[in-house]
Amino acid sequence: MRRGGRHSRPRQTSAGSRTAALLVAAGLVAAGAGAAGLALTRHPDFPQAAALQVLPVPTGPIAAAPTQGAAAVAEPLSLVIPSIGVSTALVHLDLTSSGALQVPPTATVAGWYTGSPRPGAIGSAVIAGHIDSAVGPGIFFRLSQLQPGDRAYVRRADGTLAIFEVTQVRSYAKDDFPTVAVYGPVPDRELRLITCGGTFDYSTRSYLSNTVVYAKEVS
Amino acid sequence: MRFTRFVRRIILLAALPLLLFAIPAASVATASAATSTGWIRLAHLSPNTPAVDVYLYSFGDSSAQIVLHHVAYGTVSPYEQVPTGDYTVAMRAAGASATSAPVLSASVDVVAGKAYTVAGLGPESGLRLQVLDDQLTTAPGKALVRIIQASLKQNVVSVNWGGDTLQSSLKFGVVSSYQTVSSGTATLTVSGGGDTATASVPLAAGTVHTLVVLDGPKGLQIDNLLDAAGSGTDPAGAAATGFGGMAPRAPSSPLPWLAAIGAGLLLAAAGGLRFRSRRVATQAAGGHHRVPAARS
Repeated sequence: MRRGGRHSRPRQTSAGSRTAALLVAAGLVAAGAGAAGLALTRHPDFPQAAALQVLPVPTGPIAAAPTQGAAAVAEPLSLVIPSIGVSTALVHLDLTSSGALQVPPTATVAGWYTGSPRPGAIGSAVIAGHIDSAVGPGIFFRLSQLQPGDRAYVRRADGTLAIFEVTQVRSYAKDDFPTVAVYGPVPDRELRLITCGGTFDYSTRSYLSNTVVYAKEVS
Repeated sequence: MRFTRFVRRIILLAALPLLLFAIPAASVATASAATSTGWIRLAHLSPNTPAVDVYLYSFGDSSAQIVLHHVAYGTVSPYEQVPTGDYTVAMRAAGASATSAPVLSASVDVVAGKAYTVAGLGPESGLRLQVLDDQLTTAPGKALVRIIQASLKQNVVSVNWGGDTLQSSLKFGVVSSYQTVSSGTATLTVSGGGDTATASVPLAAGTVHTLVVLDGPKGLQIDNLLDAAGSGTDPAGAAATGFGGMAPRAPSSPLPWLAAIGAGLLLAAAGGLRFRSRRVATQAAGGHHRVPAARS
């Protein structure tokens, strides 16, 4: 006769143990998925812009270097920077009521500060554009990629082209902005291209730095 | 061996996001040129000296950085932006060989952000090269003016602008100091020895001018050189040219994932407990379910 007792293996209902096993398996899968998801989502998301399209160099009559006492330089109409794919009309920018530089109304167009010299006149002509909109890249998205020697072309109201060559690309913290270096008077014909850069502060919804490109006219 | 390779891979994976952060910052730093610059221009202001060739050398170089050929009296070149440092300016007779001894030479130490005019001044018999320190900035809303008297025929001139006397007796070959004037357009009058020249001259706010008195084909002549200009009014502070659409977005909240981990562990614990309690229960109740032991 078969004897029972403590050496016999206990039998369990298969339904009960199957449920327990399912719970453990499900729990481990959920915990594992949670751990994997946590690990994989710890990096910041870098939005990507469309690929760069280098533009052809503009053609047209190049502005003759104006002699002293010549008629005032014509107003700027548009800006092309072939190496970073920029081609934009130039709107007029003034100062805000608090004296700060007005910015273009949309991210797709750049603007010339009318209080600054005209591009090609003696002094530093100021052109500003947005690095991005709320959802994508702006007209000056690639401004910080310019290198000394790159060229910018300004078409003017009289049909002539003023050609500028980049001399410096700098980044400045906005709360320590060097007004004299950027806007101050110069004795030759220069250009300043300005956009935002650096870290974006989500609490104030603004970038913490400005990128400033310095360029001088070449004939 | 396999463990260290595994650890190495983990470290590389962890380091990759750090590299992505570093690359954009590095590209801005290397794109900016570190050179400081100043400006130089050259002028021939000696009425009875024939045209010259003017050479600008970086100090110690034997080949010139800039050469201006056949610079005649009254010519002032545009400012050239040059790296800071020591330079030599040499004047030779027009057409003379570049290796011939110069008629005159002078040295200029170009300091960052400063501008200089190197001018041939005086009569031919006493020709000299003078290095002028040029101003670039003015008081807000004002203009800055100086006068170079380069007329040999009128040894002493007086200069009036609008109602103001800028210079009452300026001698030939002298460069006046700078004067601040109210901006605007007015008539500039230069008089000497009965000869007078007038011009309507606009002096805009924030501009610096050098007025040059010359012996022109018809007598006294004034040239108005715009030395420097900036914005009429400088913008205050930085430019708000970005909305953040392309800014890196912070990692998403870890909470949903932590909740999943927590819930999963709870489920697994519940399953484990149930499994364990089933074992205990069946152990305790084991006798009832088996063939009854034949206890005798």
